[in-house]
Amino acid sequence: MTLQPEDFWSYGEWLLRPNAFLRSALLQGVVLTVLAILVGLVLGYLLAAARKGPSEGFYAVARVIREMFVFDLPGTSVRRVYALSRLAFKEAIRRRVLVVAGVFVVILLFAGWYLNPKSDDPAQLYISFVLTATNYLILLLALFISCFSIPADIQNKTLYTIVTKPVRPTEIVLGRIFGFAAVGTCLLVPMGLASYLFVKGGLNHDHAGIQEIEQQADGTYVGKTTYDRHHQHTFTLTADEAGNLEGVTDIAQGHQHSITKAADSETYVIGPPTGALTARVPSYGSLYFLSRTGQRSEQGIDTGQEKGDGGYGSAGLERLIGRTSQANRIEFGYVEGGNLSAGIYTFDDVTPGRYQDGLPLQMNLRAYRAHKGKIDRGLRGTVTLRNPDTGAASNALTFIVDEYEVDELMIPETLAGNDGQRNRDLNLFEDLVNENGQLQLEIRCLDRGQYLGMTQGDVFLKPRENPFAWNFAKAYISIWLQMIMVISFGVMFSTFLNGAVAMLLTLVCVLLGFSAETIYDVRHHIDINKPMGGGPLESMIRIAKQDAMTTELDVDTLTSKIVKGVDTVIVYSMDVVATSLPNLPKMVETAEYAANGFDIFGSLLARHATTTLAYLLLTFFVSYFCLKTREIAA
Amino acid sequence: METNTSAVATEAAPASPVEREVVIETRNLSKIYRDFWGRKKVQALKSLDIEVQKGEIFGLLGPNGSGKSTTIKLILGLLFPTSGRVLVFDKDATETRKNERIGYLPEESYLYKFLTAEETLDFYGRLFDMSGEDRRRRVEELIKLVGLEHARHRQLREYSKGMTRRVGLAQALINDPDLIMLDEPTTGLDPIGTREMKDLILNLRDQGKTVLLCSHQLADVQDVCDRVAILHQGELKELGRVSDLLKVQDVTEVHARGLSEQAKSEIAEVIRRHGGEVESIDNPTATMEDLFLNIVRESEARPGARRLSTAGDDPAASAASAAPSAEPSASDQPASPKRDGDAAE
Repeated sequence: MTLQPEDFWSYGEWLLRPNAFLRSALLQGVVLTVLAILVGLVLGYLLAAARKGPSEGFYAVARVIREMFVFDLPGTSVRRVYALSRLAFKEAIRRRVLVVAGVFVVILLFAGWYLNPKSDDPAQLYISFVLTATNYLILLLALFISCFSIPADIQNKTLYTIVTKPVRPTEIVLGRIFGFAAVGTCLLVPMGLASYLFVKGGLNHDHAGIQEIEQQADGTYVGKTTYDRHHQHTFTLTADEAGNLEGVTDIAQGHQHSITKAADSETYVIGPPTGALTARVPSYGSLYFLSRTGQRSEQGIDTGQEKGDGGYGSAGLERLIGRTSQANRIEFGYVEGGNLSAGIYTFDDVTPGRYQDGLPLQMNLRAYRAHKGKIDRGLRGTVTLRNPDTGAASNALTFIVDEYEVDELMIPETLAGNDGQRNRDLNLFEDLVNENGQLQLEIRCLDRGQYLGMTQGDVFLKPRENPFAWNFAKAYISIWLQMIMVISFGVMFSTFLNGAVAMLLTLVCVLLGFSAETIYDVRHHIDINKPMGGGPLESMIRIAKQDAMTTELDVDTLTSKIVKGVDTVIVYSMDVVATSLPNLPKMVETAEYAANGFDIFGSLLARHATTTLAYLLLTFFVSYFCLKTREIAA
Repeated sequence: METNTSAVATEAAPASPVEREVVIETRNLSKIYRDFWGRKKVQALKSLDIEVQKGEIFGLLGPNGSGKSTTIKLILGLLFPTSGRVLVFDKDATETRKNERIGYLPEESYLYKFLTAEETLDFYGRLFDMSGEDRRRRVEELIKLVGLEHARHRQLREYSKGMTRRVGLAQALINDPDLIMLDEPTTGLDPIGTREMKDLILNLRDQGKTVLLCSHQLADVQDVCDRVAILHQGELKELGRVSDLLKVQDVTEVHARGLSEQAKSEIAEVIRRHGGEVESIDNPTATMEDLFLNIVRESEARPGARRLSTAGDDPAASAASAAPSAEPSASDQPASPKRDGDAAE
């Protein structure tokens, strides 16, 4: 999981984007709403005018809007919404949606066949598996129940007996949405509990005992546990005065055990696995690089297509004033071994209150080998702590990079180093942290000609952990929000389309979110006039002519102009649509946080909740107008 | 109103003796069904002008496809008029608020099959924003009224067509409406049910409510309606009071009991002497409905095998004896005594 800059935004930053208001979510939401209103009015007027003539059409539109504000919104009754929700709930239950829960249980039962037991990080595997399975099952369910209900009621004419009661269209729409949300919730809660138990149970194990143990010269005991579940641990035990032995094993497959042996007993007691299910609350720093010659640079060394290879993101509304997007995604920046290049992180708020037992540093570095080097061990790196003001620095601490795993280093409170004048023991909080609570961390590669890659989110301090269960629940809340989003879109489309078409359109909306990034990239390349395959038409020509992507289009000037013009229109329209639609994949990503043992940021969840609410309102009003202006009996 | 093509309508309007409150008014109402591309498929209704007044039972008659259902749907706001207007309680038919005072029984009872009768009525009660207590009371009353006490906890899917119809009627009455619209109220009902339905409709009228019904069951329409409109191919063909429309002006009917053959021929003689023409002098036949109801009522009173009337018996005698007992109940007395109190509320 590579965190992108936008992942670090706080809720306020996301909403308002202090230095780039044009890209802010608030503005985008407001513009989207205004556009929806305008399009709705124009479309509504055109339809009414076609049916009744220009002046009557205007009157009809005005009447519908007046009725919404004067009667339908104030007249919406909780009791009616509740009655309709209950009906939708019962109807969905009757349509055997609970089968989904059964399917889920079956999936869990057979999951063992597919989950690789030899994995280095079984926790990640288990968690991402259950979350993904739940996510797609629930979204599929939401898609089915929401799209077919109103069309079925119109077809069975059961809606006739409802709309001839004083039921407002608002109530019909809200009733469906709430009813289906309740169905989804009723499924999601047991699925969540089952998943939690599955993960807990699946990762729990013990080791049969001690395979070998040996007393060292210093009185400690070093040994190995038995080989169970495709791994074994080494451990070191120390004896206290009474002769009791205790200690912990090393970390294997993402967990460790405690081992104790009472003085009067022969048996070693191996505790349950700990540390596999975590929710680290990271404290991130800012990152800049030093180049090979020691010059400050915002980007590290590029070892390939690390940048520019996709991911320009949406520039929000800035494009309207002709500003095109910059590369939004950050891939790894590398530092080279054996010269001055380094990655420098600056952490804020490093205080003894937050870090009581030293500084827990976690790193998820990437290694790039330019030559074979020593193939049987990882690349070596060093960490140096530095006071950003006084220049006092610790001696370099060396470590070996575990690729694809999080390296953990516990930095003690007292370190050997140089305070700028002389070498002495430095106190972490007094000598290395400046008055503002800032600490700099310098990461270098030790192996000449090899490279270490890092991004801002890859090196962090871990002041505390949250309970895993709560983090897991947050991942489920995110799934719940996605479900609400799909339900509200499904209900919206079903107010004016038949069930199958409504489902297809909802699906397209979801899928467009998944390909939004590609659309943004294509648009970016069109904007900067870079031949990168071009839009749909140009690509088609290239495929037919078997031309390479990056050459100029090999047709005459006029044709080229026409093709590019058409493509621009198509790509810009797709861009508008993709930007207007919710970005579900971003919400699906929260599963990654939970799987990788990171606390899902509260701000991230708040952002998703806000977006969901906004789209819920939007689809609600669209649904209202569609239902209000359609002939139920037609 | 300038394109009022229906001469009958204007003619019939003065037929109502006093100016009464108008509940439904259609003005030049037309409906054209179009296909997806906006091309005209069929003109279901052409410039319809009718007024339904408070406290009357108004019947819409016509063959299939004559525009009866379209009219009802336009009045309910389920369809929007192509041109013209519908006013219900002086509000536009597309306004939701008019529904507070309307009860509607659709052609077939479009109800949720997975609900029980009680749940169904409770659900529709909620849609009128009725409080829990009001709903319980009303549901209780209506279940008794339509005679479904024994089946109140069964899902509607298990119901016969007649029972579903009854639940449909009960839901139409849940809000104690001032205007009741009944689309084919008697289809699917057995003769007893039909009679009960007709009694109920009359009863509602007696409570001062307005009833609009459409039906092909001409006998039923004749029995209950005060006024009828006859539609054909979307056009209004006839409108007026049932008694006026059906009265055969130049034929006189005399009913008498206990006449001898001698007396009959003397009467015929008198008629001829006055220049009249005797069409027939005969024993009247009762309706099948009367015969059937009589048998059922007898069977309820005395269960067991009934002695069948043989060829030697005089069928007219038993029918004639049935007729007097059935006749009064058609007009003002409900068919079964136990409903009396409920219907009167």
